[in-house]
Amino acid sequence: MGDAIVVTSGKGGVGKTTSSANIGTALALLGKKVCLVDTDIGLRNLDVVMGLENRIIFDIVDVATGSCRLEQALIKDKRFDHLVLLPAAQTKDKLALSVDAMQTIIRNLKAQFDYIVIDCPAGIEHGFRVAITGADQAVVVTTPEQAAVRDADRVIGLLEGVKLPPAKLVINRIRPHMVKNGDMLDIDDIVGILSLDLLGIVPDDEHVIRAANQGEPTVLRPDSRASLAYRNIARRILGDSVPLMNLEDDAGFFKRMKKLIGLR
Amino acid sequence: MAKSARSTASEGKRNLVTIKGIRNGLVFALAEDAPFTDVLTELEDKLLGSHQHLLSGSTLSAYIEKGKRQLSEDEEKALRRIFASQGELIVSGLDGPPPLKDWRPKDPYVHKGTLRSGQLIEHDGDVVVIGDVNPGAHIIASGDVFVMGRLRGSAHAGAGGDVLSVVAATYFEPLQVRIAGVVRRSPETYTRAAEMEFAYLEGNQMAVEKMSVLAQHRMRTRSSHAVI
Ligand SMILES: Nc1ncnc2c1ncn2[C@@H]1O[C@H](COP(=O)(O)OP(=O)(O)O)[C@@H](O)[C@H]1O
Ligand SMILES: [Mg+2]
Repeated sequence: MGDAIVVTSGKGGVGKTTSSANIGTALALLGKKVCLVDTDIGLRNLDVVMGLENRIIFDIVDVATGSCRLEQALIKDKRFDHLVLLPAAQTKDKLALSVDAMQTIIRNLKAQFDYIVIDCPAGIEHGFRVAITGADQAVVVTTPEQAAVRDADRVIGLLEGVKLPPAKLVINRIRPHMVKNGDMLDIDDIVGILSLDLLGIVPDDEHVIRAANQGEPTVLRPDSRASLAYRNIARRILGDSVPLMNLEDDAGFFKRMKKLIGLR
Repeated sequence: MAKSARSTASEGKRNLVTIKGIRNGLVFALAEDAPFTDVLTELEDKLLGSHQHLLSGSTLSAYIEKGKRQLSEDEEKALRRIFASQGELIVSGLDGPPPLKDWRPKDPYVHKGTLRSGQLIEHDGDVVVIGDVNPGAHIIASGDVFVMGRLRGSAHAGAGGDVLSVVAATYFEPLQVRIAGVVRRSPETYTRAAEMEFAYLEGNQMAVEKMSVLAQHRMRTRSSHAVI
């Protein structure tokens, strides 16, 4: 029986899709059978980031409405046999994917895969409720900005209401020099407000944008800092204890940051 | 009425109208043995002039304590007209304040854990949060608000008009505090969260004090028939 992990944030553009693609691919790199599920109906882009857009024939709404079987909609990754994508629909009504249908889909996927990584749409409406249903754990992504942290807090409160175990936190797009100058919230502040275990911190890295445009998840590049960060996150999901990466070579700017990571 | 008449009335040195703060409003004690017109003049003077600072910008109950005096229909009308003219005090009784037994304490509501953005606690009574109140979270209490943790969200104490309510926190850095009808926004930044402080009303101004004097504030307000 696999584990379903929903990647959510409340706010848009903070890195849910980027994190879903990279965490899923990193788990596949570590030998796990992984299914990525895009629930952002109408704004799908996990397929683009994975470079699989041109292979889509059926999508998750087709599965939900019985227009095709689950297996027909799963797209095999170019690089790994044991990594697949269940794409979102682009043109269909988002209410066509119901909570019940989603639960059935996730249950079926859990029977076949080690990890199901669910990319959640922005917001806290229907799409959010669908994405979290059937998940066993949640990863909340935020960036070091007030608005993103506020929305993450809102989402964490909603997740607490559905009896998931406490979510894990990923802080994305950190720019060490801005934090140092006090222009960005620091990690201690964010963890202090959200009071969640930190699953990882990901630097702002132009490799991420380049990789997304090439349809190749950053995590496959050995030379990017964001890649290392996502590999560490995947290892922590598997239960390894990996220290937080030091984003700055000189003064240990994260040296105050010791609050690590209780994972199953 | 001519100016000179007013000053003669107040030259009598004796207070014809004594105003007392109580838990849920103000009591106006009218001298029993002075001419009623003098009493009215002084009342008008105090309400519209010298004692305006008592009014907080929100509505308050006014309890008239007329003693043994019998009011004619016209006298009562005149009295009510004075209160009506300033719009904030609502005459709630002509026989003094409601008996104390009506104020027996209500059960507090205790929340354990972080109160997060978008979450609201609304309670008739005191609210105690054991945990942090995050920005975007909101507490509305008819009584006091106590946060054993960081208060970074919004808190409204005395939501039913109780001007004696307080908002207290271990780390006091709220976005917004309200007590009865008085609102205060946060300063644009907190350099350092104030530790162990509480907010209360001093007239229509909000003040913040160290928690160590909360007991004194309580004594002052709960015995509360002190003349303002
Ligand atoms: N760590 C990062 N460094 C640089 N750019 C990033 C990083 N994470 C995300 N981005 C960029 O930010 C944008 C939004 O990310 P995305 O994953 O689509 O957010 P969401 O799915 O939460 O809306 C994308 O253009 C993505 O390439
Ligand atoms: Mg997205």
